[in-house]
Amino acid sequence: MTDQPSNESRRDVGPEREAGGEPNPEGMSRRSFLRTSAVFGTGLAALAAGLAPLLDVKNFPSLQQFMQKYYKEMTPEEMAVVLKRIENEVERQYGIRPHVRDLKPMDGVEFVYCLNLTRCIGCRKCVHACVAENNQSRSPEIQYIRVLQMENGSLDMEKAVHDYDPAKVPEKGHFYMPVQCQQCKNPPCVKVCPVHATWQEPDGITVIDYDWCIGCRYCEAACPYWARRFNFAKPSIPKDRINPEMDYLSNRPRSQGVMEKCHFCLQRTRAGRYPACVEVCPTGTRKFGNILDPNSEVSYILKTKKVFIQLKEELGTSPRFFYYFDV
Amino acid sequence: MKDSTKTSIVMYALAVVFLVLAGAFLSRGWGQTPALQPIPLVDSEFLKTATVRTSYAELVSSKADLSDFDCYGCHEKGKPPILRFDEKHNLIVPEEHKDIVMGHGRNNRNNLCTNCHDENNLELFQTRDGRELKFSESTELCGSCHGPTYRDWAAGAHGRTSGYWNREMGPITRKDCVSCHNPHSPKFPGRQPAPPPHTLRPLNKPAHEGEREGEHEGEHEGKHD
Repeated sequence: MTDQPSNESRRDVGPEREAGGEPNPEGMSRRSFLRTSAVFGTGLAALAAGLAPLLDVKNFPSLQQFMQKYYKEMTPEEMAVVLKRIENEVERQYGIRPHVRDLKPMDGVEFVYCLNLTRCIGCRKCVHACVAENNQSRSPEIQYIRVLQMENGSLDMEKAVHDYDPAKVPEKGHFYMPVQCQQCKNPPCVKVCPVHATWQEPDGITVIDYDWCIGCRYCEAACPYWARRFNFAKPSIPKDRINPEMDYLSNRPRSQGVMEKCHFCLQRTRAGRYPACVEVCPTGTRKFGNILDPNSEVSYILKTKKVFIQLKEELGTSPRFFYYFDV
Repeated sequence: MKDSTKTSIVMYALAVVFLVLAGAFLSRGWGQTPALQPIPLVDSEFLKTATVRTSYAELVSSKADLSDFDCYGCHEKGKPPILRFDEKHNLIVPEEHKDIVMGHGRNNRNNLCTNCHDENNLELFQTRDGRELKFSESTELCGSCHGPTYRDWAAGAHGRTSGYWNREMGPITRKDCVSCHNPHSPKFPGRQPAPPPHTLRPLNKPAHEGEREGEHEGEHEGKHD
């Protein structure tokens, strides 16, 4: 719209000057020229002001990333190209050459997590081991696990304290309930995603394709466990704290404006290892394994222990995360 | 005043307002979000996966100093040590063993050394059913009394497991009882928690925070026995 008057005004500048400032009978009067150029200038300035937020965008996606296909539609060859691109990008941004893989779910494996509420002392080591393993942003802070300090004799999470910080835990009269993604069998977060950027894998892990997520945060609102996190800013991770063992669907560095959440340390568990939170727990509170294997420790726990809750089981989400008590 | 003049004045005024606004936006004269306090990195101490103690078997495999386990460096062979108790029947821990804190069993009543140690050969354990066990087999000793816990441990449901959940892809490491529990005072010790989450909102300290201050010192009773 602003083009039209600009062309006219430019065309008319010449003759006006030639005429020594006198109004040109065939062209435009001085007044209408000034008015037109003021409108044009204002329009241009308003357009520039409207585009000003673009100045804040530092990492435009490369053409390759922009044209990337949906995760489930990529052939192994295309995925190899993408993994190479991610490795290059991480090396450019963080100065460390990572090893990015795309591990697939194993046959006959369905992951289940069991957490012993009798044992947890609320030391929060799992929270920080998770951050270190999964390359979460340190500042602003993104954590997948939130340890709730609960009153003895109650499961009222409204009264839970998130930021307890005494000299020593556990504190008298309390128990501790760590909450993270429950990897539901019937996940509400997957249902609400308008672009299918999050889905449930055959081994039970709900994953996110960070290159497909549009950051609408519907899943965050849908999750009853407050398990999903949004990258409001570009994640900041110090170079010496980067975990170079990465996977496409799990702990590769995220960009600004995408969701992330616990994925049972997919880059470890699909390679047969325990998640980082299990490895760091000083009390053996956390148990992880394959529910389809009758000899696994999670099968033993679900068979013999008082499995007290699936959190908010009345919602019908059917979590793969079980809280139990020693008796 | 003519209508066209009025229109021009309004137009010029609007143009000026828009130009000023545009200039302000471009130079970001306002609307700058206040910078958040940088969050300090967590102490790497909290990221360590080591258990709170080191078992005898782990000391042997790491070739650590084992002089603490050389009983007959001080004791005399064939001469069982004499135990002394105070009037409340609490064990008087001798000066040479003053690093041992006795706190085993309900009301710390499992305080007879020979309940576990063999008085005739101090470098062995004895179970109540008469078995003799080496220091490296302490898990069997614990299991001789703590049956259900031992059963859970053997199944991988009690205590820390590390390594591979998939036994075909790699080994699983199962920690001994004494990797976490002090055998003389087995209650799991309290520890300093890692820093709480840094929320964007001011911290909501619970109203009864002050009341709790004095209670940290005492051991947490009745939870981990």
